[in-house]
Amino acid sequence: MALHLNLLHEEISQQRQRQRDPLKIGMMVLGAIGTLMILYYMWNAYKTLEIRNRFSAIQHDWSKVEPKVTSAQKRSAELNGIISTIKVLDGMIDSRFYWAPFLEKLSRCVALNAQVTSVDGTVLEDNKGVSVMIEGLAAGREPRAAAEELRQLLLEQLGQSYREVKVEFKTLEDLDTLVKIGGDNMAMARFGLSVTFTTAPSTAKAAPAPAPERVRAPKP
Amino acid sequence: MKKLNLTKDQIQKLALSSMGFVVLLYVYFSFFLGPLNKSRDSMLATIDDLQRKVAGSKNEMMKATNLEQAAGAATTRFAALKALSPEGAPIAWFPPRMKIFFANQQIDKTTARLENSSPFREPELANWMRYTWSLDLPQTDFATTGKAIAVLENSEPLLSITHLNLHAVADDPQFQQVSLTAMTAIVKR
Repeated sequence: MALHLNLLHEEISQQRQRQRDPLKIGMMVLGAIGTLMILYYMWNAYKTLEIRNRFSAIQHDWSKVEPKVTSAQKRSAELNGIISTIKVLDGMIDSRFYWAPFLEKLSRCVALNAQVTSVDGTVLEDNKGVSVMIEGLAAGREPRAAAEELRQLLLEQLGQSYREVKVEFKTLEDLDTLVKIGGDNMAMARFGLSVTFTTAPSTAKAAPAPAPERVRAPKP
Repeated sequence: MKKLNLTKDQIQKLALSSMGFVVLLYVYFSFFLGPLNKSRDSMLATIDDLQRKVAGSKNEMMKATNLEQAAGAATTRFAALKALSPEGAPIAWFPPRMKIFFANQQIDKTTARLENSSPFREPELANWMRYTWSLDLPQTDFATTGKAIAVLENSEPLLSITHLNLHAVADDPQFQQVSLTAMTAIVKR
């Protein structure tokens, strides 16, 4: 068997030592990992660029649509405002009390032997009811009966259009004065009627002007 | 298993390499990959948001179109009611308007005074004001007044008479004096 003499033993050992240098190996590992990281980063950057392109396209679409949407939203808000305002205004219009039909009914109730000298009416808070004070004179053989007839007629007539109608005498007193009706002297009575009622929405509609034929000019 | 015998110098070098590796990882994630992912995530979120908005915009515009058609009557009515309030201060135009109105109804010498004005409690009427007027008709008669009030109530939908006083004139028995308190809703100008 041939004898081999390794005369470069130390040099070879040093070379092996250098090859096993941990720093060198570490650097190589670091380099490999770094390369992988860069590749991963580039892949991510590519994906991000793709997303950015999509983003730009959608943003472009939105910028075209946005003014229309904004104006549509503004218009919708305006229309909703108008609708709600109209609802409230219509409610106010529908719930208001119409005096003309009331005056018409009153004029129809006043007989020839009665005379209204004063009407003072007030619509109560939030149109919940109406309160009217009617003063006048009644003449006849039984002037109190004439006043009562007016009260009954008012109750009946107003009851057809309004709810919770109350017609009550506040005052009813005989007067000493006589009045001549149809050539006969008649006794007179002064009356004060308190009328209260609430309005029925379905019937409280504006009516034509009152019929003037039965209305007589009141005396002072 | 082969035991790794490391010299002090090699251990130092290994420690240095490890530190370098940690620094590399930190720099990579903090300054490169982190911001990139963050920007990508924010873009994705914005894309989602915009896509939702674009999809919703069609609904929004359709709703507005439908509402426009449905609110046709309301807008016409609103314009008509608004047209009842001319430009300018109500005190400047309302009394003359009433004077002319009652003159057309054969009732002369009408006076209209502003009693007060206040805003409405309803939030829907934030642009409207409530004006209370006192109207005096010193020389009229029952029938003419009744007719005039009927016409007034029909022609002025935003006017409501809250108080009415009608009484005979002491000196002139053929006439009556009438005073009205009327409330009107007027657009703020």
